[in-house]
Amino acid sequence: MRSRELFSTAFVLCALVGLSGCKSASPPPDRLSQLIAKGSDLFFNETFGGNGRTCGTCHPAENNFTIDPAFIATLPKDNPLFVAEFIPALKENFENPALMREFGLILENLDGFADLKNKFVMRGVPHVLGLRTSVNSPGGPRTGWSGDGAPGDGSLRSFATGAVIQHFTKTLNRIPGVDFRLPTDEELDALEAFQLSLGRQEDLVLPLRLKGTVPKRGQAIFLDKKLGKCNLCHVNAGATSNLGQGSLGNANFNTGVEDLPDQPARLTTQKVPRDDGFRTPGDGTFNVPPLVEAADSGPFFHNNAIETIEGAVAFYDGEAFNKSPAGRTLAKLDPEGKGIELDGTQIVAIAAFLRVINVLENIRQSIMLLEASLAVSSSAERARLLTRAVHETDDSTRVLRGGGLHAEAVAHLQAARRLADKAVRSHFFGRKYTEEAIREQKKARAFLVE
Amino acid sequence: MTVRKLVVALVGMSALLWGSAAAPSAQMVTEQYIPIGQSPGLSGKHTVIGKLQSVNPQEKTCTVAGTTGALNVRITERTKIWLDRSKLQQPNLTGTLADLRPGATVEVKPEGHQGGVSSAPAEWIKVEVPASP
Repeated sequence: MRSRELFSTAFVLCALVGLSGCKSASPPPDRLSQLIAKGSDLFFNETFGGNGRTCGTCHPAENNFTIDPAFIATLPKDNPLFVAEFIPALKENFENPALMREFGLILENLDGFADLKNKFVMRGVPHVLGLRTSVNSPGGPRTGWSGDGAPGDGSLRSFATGAVIQHFTKTLNRIPGVDFRLPTDEELDALEAFQLSLGRQEDLVLPLRLKGTVPKRGQAIFLDKKLGKCNLCHVNAGATSNLGQGSLGNANFNTGVEDLPDQPARLTTQKVPRDDGFRTPGDGTFNVPPLVEAADSGPFFHNNAIETIEGAVAFYDGEAFNKSPAGRTLAKLDPEGKGIELDGTQIVAIAAFLRVINVLENIRQSIMLLEASLAVSSSAERARLLTRAVHETDDSTRVLRGGGLHAEAVAHLQAARRLADKAVRSHFFGRKYTEEAIREQKKARAFLVE
Repeated sequence: MTVRKLVVALVGMSALLWGSAAAPSAQMVTEQYIPIGQSPGLSGKHTVIGKLQSVNPQEKTCTVAGTTGALNVRITERTKIWLDRSKLQQPNLTGTLADLRPGATVEVKPEGHQGGVSSAPAEWIKVEVPASP
């Protein structure tokens, strides 16, 4: 073939490849999609005239919408999370930087702002995944660790207003219009729509047909009303409860977490007042979180008292729980009057089950993100979706390896990760790599569940 | 398990859960910093905004003239009173019964959702401190 023909052929081929990458015009987004998109923009970019923080400062998408010491350690010094370290007006009584960096704890004035030096609690940052399944209760919406996180009508929609006042202020005066501005009604609508769109939109239906020997046994113990009893307060590994008299929705319980000895933050010299939970004065109860998202979003409980999922499960075998009001109630409901009594292997089995259902959710999210990346025309948006898929896949790998589970699935997840990463950086073969990554995710999933 | 044990357990469970669950789950503390008329999901729906018509310190009641008529509320030991100084660009403060004066612009939230119920206890009252003339 002469060089001219060769050049023409190459040109046509390139044009064809380029054209194949063009998408036909997508249908206009519906109103809900627009609202969610607006909510996403507000969540990650709007500072509400405050100290520079956004909702995404404490709820970053790349870390499962929560923060922990390992993630915090990666942030630059001038990240708005650390405003208490570089804004003089916030140096005292706004955060505790030492506890934030070492334990991922945030300061909250849940009992009022009259005595900032002494009246506060230190809490971990809850993720905001699966909220559609975990807020409603017959007693009203339950938000935040103690279920009373939102001002106004207490709804998820109103939560952002309280968050701006507590966390976004430029000074401790907290003057609206000066130290921050409050979200408008339209902004609250958008933020709510966005948050409700995150993660699972419905609960699992247990039992799943799990393939792993230990996770399968863990699921059985989880569901056993006489042994693990987990499903009573975490129906289908979610955030709703049913102690035998019908659904309680997303309930609060006093499980004795505050009575744990040797809580990490209290091992320091820092002031860590007792957290009395729901309302003021508190009744000692805290809100039930969903478990599907647990294994990759520790540390656990409202005060980040326990680092590992195995430790979190083991808590329920301990004195603090079994002597608590919730523990005693479970014992009273037991035909033999027993609370939760588990041995080491059983604790690990339940944790293995929780690890596997977390990974199944991460795989679902990863596939969704990868498929979504194939449908967008913006290369920036495609890269963002693919990068999120990479993060979710990293979580899946870490969670399985941390439990010594499903090595073959891990191999496929690692392959999926490599392919997604290549897709981010590829101009011409992104679609091919993405589709292969999806296949690898599905292969991994096939090792976990039928 | 005996029937008695089951009943005891269920009653205990109910107290455990419903003692607090029946109460609204909103937190009030940041409400102090929300100006009159801007409480999300409450202002205009479950609150009354208007002028204080009268205050009875002995009986601890006050009457607010809202757009839909007058509302009489009781001030109890649980009632929070806040001074809304946002128009002065000053921090909002905790107030007292003495800060409730006829003619003041207020927003009143009756306990629960008892809007319109006469002599309902007030959950909170925000009193506007006007900007200097």
